[in-house]
Amino acid sequence: MKFSLLRPALAIGAALTLASCGGGGGKQTYPINVEVYNVQYPGLVLSTNGQDLTINGTSDLNTPIKATFPQEIEYGVEYDVLPKGQTETNLAGGSLPQHQSCSSGSSGFPRRNTAGLLQKIDVVVVCSVNAYPVGGTIKGLTGTGLVLINGSSGSSYVASPVIDATTKLPTDIKWALTQPGGLVAAPVTYNTTYGVTVLTQPSGQNCTVTGGNSPANNGSGTMDADAEKAGGVSNIVVTCTNK
Amino acid sequence: MKSTILRSGVVLACALGLAACGGGGDLYLQGPVYNVTEAGLVLQNNGGSDLAVGIRAATGQYDYFQFPNAISTDDNFNITVKSVPANIEKCVVNNPSGHANYYTTQQISVQCTLKTHALNVQVKGLTSDGLVIVNGTDKQTVAANQTSVTMTRVNQDAPYGVTVLTQPKTQTCTVSGGANGNGTGTVGADDVTSVVVTCS
Repeated sequence: MKFSLLRPALAIGAALTLASCGGGGGKQTYPINVEVYNVQYPGLVLSTNGQDLTINGTSDLNTPIKATFPQEIEYGVEYDVLPKGQTETNLAGGSLPQHQSCSSGSSGFPRRNTAGLLQKIDVVVVCSVNAYPVGGTIKGLTGTGLVLINGSSGSSYVASPVIDATTKLPTDIKWALTQPGGLVAAPVTYNTTYGVTVLTQPSGQNCTVTGGNSPANNGSGTMDADAEKAGGVSNIVVTCTNK
Repeated sequence: MKSTILRSGVVLACALGLAACGGGGDLYLQGPVYNVTEAGLVLQNNGGSDLAVGIRAATGQYDYFQFPNAISTDDNFNITVKSVPANIEKCVVNNPSGHANYYTTQQISVQCTLKTHALNVQVKGLTSDGLVIVNGTDKQTVAANQTSVTMTRVNQDAPYGVTVLTQPKTQTCTVSGGANGNGTGTVGADDVTSVVVTCS
């Protein structure tokens, strides 16, 4: 109760830009709380004001891990909660969970602010599992209408033949799965499977699928650590021959 | 009442061919649409003229709606679903009604639920452990002597494509059947039961 009276008084003081704002018997301090959603792998360390906070355990998109930095900060001190190693000018890399990316801050609870401007410091961090492209090469395509799919995942690739003007022969086509509409890449999430099949054969041709990173060598596989390291799967070959 | 008078004035201005004809305000009823894969979603505001939700150019998907006429602060709005595409079970409008302001017109979304169907795969001649089949990201392990596999349900009008991820220890399996004969097809209005995995 004492604090809830004191805090509006400080806010009024700040609004009036009084010189002695926050002075007197020591400044109020604020704990830096975080709520971390969807951490699925170890490795996340958050950092602000020279302090580190290791996030242990896992969470989903509904129930976050709640944690607090070891030291409270004083009224008027700026904080900026980021994965350790990231800076405002380089919001990439750092101590992220393995196979994941995380972004901190929301409109209501920004990652970067000044202690005391909000009633409390509560930075929301949301992580997602990384995903990588899946594709390869189409060879020998002369017919129209070829559609490749990745099961019922919603992603696909619609191919049109590219004929070399000089040789009159089909040119190899680089392809990768895209979302419905074909405008946005549709990567495959780490540790999930893919299985590319021919949904629609091109006119006058039959196409078969080989490659991928499963031993079946049929365009299927799992986005495992090796595929992640390679930046995705790019060795799925679709070979089309005339009927 | 005030806004009704205001709007009449704007309509009059439009009829007179005045330059500032803009629909009476600067607030647009718009928001995200989820799970719509084909044409057929029609929304209405206050029971008025229909808005057919089309493909958004930026994404190539049916993922956004915006009523064409701007409305004014404090206008009442009430968005309802008039009809849904054939492959949709139902659509619910979140925060569908209120007095228009910059906040309330930003809180509307349309959440649809697709009709789904079973994808059951027949398995023939499997005497060895180790077979794993996938339909894209849906992975199912199949034990020796198993004769059918229930895959994750699939959306109506969506494609499916069953393939072998891992062959069993001592056999080789091939996928056939489905609408296209190679384990692929497009889900219709019924469950899919025609995909066959044959092992030898």
